[in-house]
Amino acid sequence: MAQSSPLDIVLKGSSGQSTRGLLRIIILLTIAAAAVASRLFSVIRFESIIHEFDPWFNFRATKYLVQNGFYSFWDWFDDRTWHPLGRVTGGTLYPGLMVTSGVVYHILRFLTIPVDIRNVCVLLAPGFSGLTALAMYLLTCEMSTSPSAGLLAAAFMGIAPGYISRSVAGSYDNEAIAIFLLVFTFYLWIKAVKNGSIMWGALTALFYGYMVSAWGGYVFITNLIPLHVFVLLCMGRYSCRVYISYTTWYALGTLGSMQIPFVGFLPIRNSDHMSALGVFGLIQLVAFAEFVRGFLPGKQFQKLLTAMVLLTFGLGFGGLVLLSVSGIIAPWSGRFYSLWDTGYAKIHIPIIASVSEHQPTAWPAFFFDLNFLIWLFPAGVFMCFQKLKDEHVFVIIYAVLASYFAGVMVRLMLTLTPIVCVAAALALSSILDSFLTMGRPDPEALAKAGAEDSKTLRSTSKPVIGIYSFFSKLTVSASVTVYLLLFVSHCTWVTSNAYSSPSVVLASRLPDGSQHIIDDYREAYYWLRQNTPDNAKIMSWWDYGYQIGGMADRPTLVDNNTWNNTHIATVGKAMSSREEVSYPILRQHDVDYVLVVFGGLLGYSGDDLNKFLWMVRIAEGIWPDEVKERDFFTSRGEYRVDDEATPTMRNSLMYKMSYYNYQSLFPAGQAVDRVRGSRVPAESPQLNTLEEAFTSENWIIRIFKVKDLDNFGRDHSNAVSFDKGLKRKRAAKKKGPRVLRTE
Amino acid sequence: MWFFTATVLGLLAPSLAAATNATTPFRVALPSDFKPAQVFKNTNVVRNTNLEKSYARETVNLVIENIDKKPQGDYYVPFPADVFERVGGFEVRDKKAPQQGRFVVTVTEPVASSETQYFIVHFPEPLAPKSQLTLGISYSLLSSLSPLPATINQNEKQYLSYRFSAYVPSAYQTLTQKTKLKLPSTDVPEYTTTEGLKSGADPERKGATYTYGPYDTAKVAPGTELPVSVRYEYTHPVITVNLLERDLEVSHWGGNLATEERYWLRNNASQLTNQFSRVEWTFASYQKAPTCAVRELTYPLLPGSVDPYFIDDIGNVSTSRYRPGTAKTGANLEFKPRYPIFGGWNYSFKLGWNNNLSSFLRKAANADSYVLKVPFIQGPKMAEGVQYEHVVLRVVLPEGAHNVRYEILEGTTSNGLPGQNQINATFSSLKTYMDTLGRTTLTLEVDNVTDEARDSQLIVTYEHTLMDALRKPLTIFGGLLAVFVGIWSVGNLDVSIKKR
Repeated sequence: MAQSSPLDIVLKGSSGQSTRGLLRIIILLTIAAAAVASRLFSVIRFESIIHEFDPWFNFRATKYLVQNGFYSFWDWFDDRTWHPLGRVTGGTLYPGLMVTSGVVYHILRFLTIPVDIRNVCVLLAPGFSGLTALAMYLLTCEMSTSPSAGLLAAAFMGIAPGYISRSVAGSYDNEAIAIFLLVFTFYLWIKAVKNGSIMWGALTALFYGYMVSAWGGYVFITNLIPLHVFVLLCMGRYSCRVYISYTTWYALGTLGSMQIPFVGFLPIRNSDHMSALGVFGLIQLVAFAEFVRGFLPGKQFQKLLTAMVLLTFGLGFGGLVLLSVSGIIAPWSGRFYSLWDTGYAKIHIPIIASVSEHQPTAWPAFFFDLNFLIWLFPAGVFMCFQKLKDEHVFVIIYAVLASYFAGVMVRLMLTLTPIVCVAAALALSSILDSFLTMGRPDPEALAKAGAEDSKTLRSTSKPVIGIYSFFSKLTVSASVTVYLLLFVSHCTWVTSNAYSSPSVVLASRLPDGSQHIIDDYREAYYWLRQNTPDNAKIMSWWDYGYQIGGMADRPTLVDNNTWNNTHIATVGKAMSSREEVSYPILRQHDVDYVLVVFGGLLGYSGDDLNKFLWMVRIAEGIWPDEVKERDFFTSRGEYRVDDEATPTMRNSLMYKMSYYNYQSLFPAGQAVDRVRGSRVPAESPQLNTLEEAFTSENWIIRIFKVKDLDNFGRDHSNAVSFDKGLKRKRAAKKKGPRVLRTE
Repeated sequence: MWFFTATVLGLLAPSLAAATNATTPFRVALPSDFKPAQVFKNTNVVRNTNLEKSYARETVNLVIENIDKKPQGDYYVPFPADVFERVGGFEVRDKKAPQQGRFVVTVTEPVASSETQYFIVHFPEPLAPKSQLTLGISYSLLSSLSPLPATINQNEKQYLSYRFSAYVPSAYQTLTQKTKLKLPSTDVPEYTTTEGLKSGADPERKGATYTYGPYDTAKVAPGTELPVSVRYEYTHPVITVNLLERDLEVSHWGGNLATEERYWLRNNASQLTNQFSRVEWTFASYQKAPTCAVRELTYPLLPGSVDPYFIDDIGNVSTSRYRPGTAKTGANLEFKPRYPIFGGWNYSFKLGWNNNLSSFLRKAANADSYVLKVPFIQGPKMAEGVQYEHVVLRVVLPEGAHNVRYEILEGTTSNGLPGQNQINATFSSLKTYMDTLGRTTLTLEVDNVTDEARDSQLIVTYEHTLMDALRKPLTIFGGLLAVFVGIWSVGNLDVSIKKR
């Protein structure tokens, strides 16, 4: 070669291959490092702390696992939540997350590295997001021959805000590891379908089992793989490869999933899992038909096939309906219904509707979470149609399903993100592949070749097709570079501003620009932890149950595991009723302290008075005669807290606790609620059955102690007015032992 | 190859040589009817009781005379059994020659029939008959001040009451004695007055100083009590640390001395009659009104202290502030607990920081021998004082340190710590950060310490050879090599079922 350069030694031939391989590994490691690093905003800005609500439960469960060992974790009955019912925690959670961090912890401890379990939990999600980027590379490499597609997909996955939203450091939730498992399971599945290998099928099943143990979203895989197979069958692409991989996966995977106590027999009894079973049956029939086809002439086979298909479909469908009606197969779960009908939950299950992440997605959210990937996504899907191998069918199905789900429920944006990254990487890599090559055909050589080929027809000679203009190449690659840079800056901005707040700790700026931390939650929780009896029962709205369990370490009545609607409604009723009604409820549930969140002083909008209507609605669902949402609105239909508030509102326990003694902070008659922007009545509400025990620095958390029965057998309102020196209104003299008045 | 040999040798080397000075405090068992022999006479006793802090600090100066015919070397100092367990930093010196150091003091076991326990002071040389000696005894009495009334309102003044015997408890006959009380304020609503024991008013008041005596007690039998009490205003917290765990970790490789302290703190001031009211607290803090709640603790750190942290069970306490200070003045850590700690409330937390090791460690002339000089306790510095019921100090030395000895520096005045025979010292090994043998750890446990011990210094000497220092890098190197060799050999195995 005339133009050989010294670089050719490392760029060409077999050593060139190893150079590229090394480069690839370095790039992947850098991507993984970037994925981890971009999730550490909250650790650097605040501290290594568990975020939000559910992670606190996972953290507490992990601590229990690490302290008490695996078997007692498996059989864990938790009597410190849902007092007095308790919760069979070991049987009602997905243990994958806790076991994973427990294993990591024990390995590090085995190497005598003195790591704190909290830090393992905080950094688990970023660590797994690095792995997700690697899994994404593997998955995308299966879809495309382009060398850049996999790397691009890995980079997108590493920093896409749609995934970062659930995997920043401290966001110790099931999704932290589940997305890695989801992507990796799909990779293994594609590998299995391509190779028709039992080994890959079994590996798919193994990781599917891990996924089942980690996240309720495993149902997505359970339905997506059968759908893929079903579509392949419909396209007439039945092959031994598909048969082997699907049957291996289904048999092993289902057995594996049934080992999780929380899942148990759901895979054969629940409607959500029936499609997998149905396709399993179908593929047996198809395989049988293929087998028979070898022995029968075409026409007869056609007839037989039609008859068989109709028969089995009829039988299967009939059986399914029959089993569903008779109750052997559980009907669809409520959350599943709300996937199809977005208004379903609001009407039937207020507790699901009250969670913000179950709301339908707003359109800007797609751009916010995915940036320019969202418009590359359709292009990538279109390119899959062009090739349409088995794996491309998978991408298309995944894309369609996930887009729908992401549109219905905000939090399912998470399942959409991986496929968007794949499709966008496919599209972008093909753009880059055609626009970044510098080579252009030599016109003279072409002309010479044309001259030689002039004997043949002009049309059969290969015309020069492609983009060879330097200008267009420059324009396109420059604009792609700009988009990529914008994407990175957008991702950084979103991660830093939207997804890195622990929500336990609020940050504000002082006038001099320094950061001031509003730490009321932990102040109050730590007070509870240090200065109340170990088994003091705390009643609060269910949002704070996990945090109280994790930070204050005290028993709670209800928590974020909303398994008992009635119990939650009981708390809602206690909060929304008059003291005379609430006090017996509190006493009957052994409540020692009541905790409310009040943002009026600081203007913290996520407080209990703003959630109050959900409490009322949930309570009304159980006691429609006693709690009525209408009574909390004024005659003009307004939700008010000032002088115009309805008597029901002003007598409700929640209202009284929120504003108790709040007026004395202000000059007379000037008390203002900064959240609702209204003036608070001049008189403080009077609490008879509760007394203020603790209020945090900025009044965000207020804790009230439930008074014991009066020593003289009076009811509390009489006792309080006696203490104030008021004249007794009526001579209702009572004798006898202390009794609990129930109304 | 010598790497492996070295590693193996390093792994097998003994971690702890025998030449260390571990001690456990021992107590003298006395017969149940024991009474100290009347071999001494106290010619004059002056007791100074200082109540300015939240614990009582007493110094007793006695002139004693041997009235026996033989030289006597053991002097018994009695305390009621319930007080005895709360006596901290008991120290006796020759008042006229304090530079000679403290006398050896042993303690006695409690005896079921008697309500008295003794400190036995051993003179360096027995006191000849008819000769005199001036003793200076100093000690502090923890948890000896009780709030009265026990519950107050949030903004009320707090009053503490102190009960004691106006006759200084002694096992021997005393000729004259007096007690000087130094109170923190002149607001003293109640105090016991005595009649007919001396001419003039008893106690004599002069500002915040109350003097009981002098009494002529030549005819009073030893052990007679004259209970008196004072009740005075003290609107400050009574900070009690139930347990302090203090870890000092020496790293030769990092050149770092890491300190971590874990406190279990409680305020023993008057409790709140009603519940805590945030409104009142906000107004009181705004006016900077005195309160018996702990609002803030200041913790002076040594010069050059870096990376401080202040955390508790649920994470960083964001209300703390660190003032790095200059090389001379030293740093200051001002930390506010998450909530004001009122009487009866608890707060537990963790503090830590790093120091450059070179200012604490010196290499002795002997090649492999090191001398470490560190503060025994540091603790917050508060005007109202801090009392520690139990302190566990752990000095983690580098892996392989041996011939460990420790000593507590003694000066001419009290260092606030009890004698070395009252400190429980144990040696153990701690495995951390990929240790193979574990690090030699010296644990010192001591009861009843006050913040007077803030300036006490601990000296630890140990030997640490180059081989000890190289053990860890070699072990890690060997481990990694083993992993690579293992992977390489596994990768070379052909386990396929294809025909070959």
